[in-house]
This record gives sequence, structure tokens and C-alpha cells, in this order.
Amino acid sequence: MYTLLHGLYKYIAQKDEYCVLILGLDNAGKTTYLEAAKTKFTKNYKGMKPSKITTTVGLNIGKIDIAGIRLNFWDLGGQEELQSLWDKYYAESHALIYIVDSSDRDRIPDSKEAFDKMISSNCLNGVPLLVLANKQDIPDCMGVREVKPIFNQSAHLIGRRDCMVMPVSALTGYGKIILVISFDKFTSHSIVTD
Amino acid sequence: MGGLLSYFRNLLGSREMRILILGLDGAGKTTILYRLQVGEVVTTIPTIGFNVEQVTYKNLKFQVWDLGGQTSIRPYWRCYYSNTDAIIYVVDSADRDRIGISKDELLYMLREDELQGAVLVVLANKQDVEGSLSVAEVHQALGLDALKNRTFQIFKTSATKGEGLDSAMDWLSNALQNRK
Repeated sequence: MYTLLHGLYKYIAQKDEYCVLILGLDNAGKTTYLEAAKTKFTKNYKGMKPSKITTTVGLNIGKIDIAGIRLNFWDLGGQEELQSLWDKYYAESHALIYIVDSSDRDRIPDSKEAFDKMISSNCLNGVPLLVLANKQDIPDCMGVREVKPIFNQSAHLIGRRDCMVMPVSALTGYGKIILVISFDKFTSHSIVTD
Repeated sequence: MGGLLSYFRNLLGSREMRILILGLDGAGKTTILYRLQVGEVVTTIPTIGFNVEQVTYKNLKFQVWDLGGQTSIRPYWRCYYSNTDAIIYVVDSADRDRIGISKDELLYMLREDELQGAVLVVLANKQDVEGSLSVAEVHQALGLDALKNRTFQIFKTSATKGEGLDSAMDWLSNALQNRK
């Protein structure tokens, strides 16, 4: 009887869980973004100081409960040699966040190339996509108006999935830390938060 | 009063963290332990049993356990798992033949309940040896993509030359302080 009630309670209390992959070139600000999001949406969580965040070689995880669902974030290393590991995570991802360093104009083509390679993967068909033009706090960075057309060139690869480009600064918290996610046809969630 | 004291003690970061150094035999665990503690390369013999030392790194005190890695004594690792804050898993990047065994031991170990909250650092050691595995290769060979619920980092190290250990300890101390 206890087991039955316990099971029922668990069934009612359970949250839908979704996995969100955070990708982008090295030094784009993926880990900083994850820390900023964790700090913002987790009570009593003191984020790591941005100055203490080092190059990721491995995996950082983050769990955020929001709008009645749980989001599991996976933040992977972005160095060139580590990009070959990204595809191991595609099959289980429900959404993608791609972070671009808008202050680094020289590497925008590299970023675009990695992006194209990523979204061409079959495992990511129909997975909603959020492109963040990060580091908006740096003067002379590319605005969202500049970044958007670059990634729009890949429209044929993006296809009909949900896609959005947003300006942010993970460091200062500028812009909305936005999660726009519609996971599948049956349980459609759109989360927009300030 | 006691609360105030412990508050200040926490500020100074004197709570001792318990860290295990694990890995196959000959991976360089003991060399790493003494490199961390005295900053020198010591001559080691295969550990049977364990070495335990107190290591202070940037105001943080660690109690570091280095357990013997030979096949026959690996089953005893589990006796040391309780209350572990972090695991430093050392891989011999030059030993391509046994990396599969290393993978099995790692995955077997991480299934333990007592280690669910522990921070994992993988050291791809012996990077000074020519033809050693790169970080991406170690990641793949150890099957780390199967670890989806745990934060971990891989570092290239060379214990004999002392490379990479500082950045690994930096990250580890940040991760441990941030965990609470």
C-alpha cells in the first residue's frame, strides 16, 4: 500500500525533464552563461566567480527548475579537438543553445562552420535552437543585427525548426537570459524570462 | 558563538576535503600525490595499501588518499569511498592497451552510491611520452560521454615534469568550493 501511494505521489510530483546542450567555440562564454543562468534561476545558489571559470575540457552540468519542468544543461568544451565529441550528446538533447562570441569578428567564420556542421547532424532534426550573441558588454562588438544574417545563411540547414537569435551578456546579465523552447508537438513549452 | 567561529573557519577554508586518487597501477598516482605535497618527483615503488597525505593548496586543505592500483587490490577501493568529496582519476595516456580496463574500472566505480556527489577530475597523465593519447582520445576511450549527470574535467598532465597539475588543482578547488 505504501509503495502504491508512494508511486502515485512520485507520479504526480514528477517533473518533465529535458536536456539542453550548450555549444559554441572555445571562449564564447558557455560556462559563464550556464553559471549566470544557474545563479538566476536557482535559489540560494552562488555562482562561480567569472574570473575563476577556466577552459572547459569535459562537461559541466546544470539543473534548473522552471515553469514546472526541469532542464538539464550540458555544457561541453568548445576547443577544436573537442568538437568531435559533441555528436555523442546529440541523440539525447531536446534543445540546443549555440553561443557566439560577438566581440571576436575574426573567428565568426569558424563559429559559423562549427554551427553548420552541428546542425547538419541527423540526430538534431527538428530540435529547437537558440543562438546567443554573447559578450554584448564589450564595446564595438557585433550587434544581433550583424550576427543574425550570418547564421541566416544556413537557413536551408536550419529548416523548419524553431530558431531564434538573441543578444546577451553572460558576464553582466545584460539582455534576457531567455529560454525559448518548444520541445515537441505534444508538450509545447515556450519559456521566456527576463 | 560556535556558529560564528565555524563561519570564520569556513571563510578561511580550513575544512578538510577528502580526495581519492585512483587509477590503474603504473598510472602515476603516487608521483602525483607527492608532486602535490612536496613539489618534487620522488622515486616510487608500486603501492600496496595506500599513501595518505595532507595537501594544502591555496588555503584549502585536502586529505589525499592514494590507493594501490594493481588488479588484485582494486576491489578494496570501495572501502574508502564514503565521505569522498572528489576523485582524481589518473590515466596513463601512453598505455593504449590497458585504457579499456581503465574505462571499465572508472565506470564501475562511478556507479557506487557513495560517490554520487563526488567531483571527478580525470588526469591524462604522462603527456611527456611521445605518442600519448590526446584529451579527445582519452575522453572517447574512457567512454566519458556516458557520464551525463556529473560535472567533470580532463586535464593533460605530466607528473614528472609537473605540468598541468596546477590548473587541475585550481579547477578542483573552485569546483569543491562552489559545490555547496
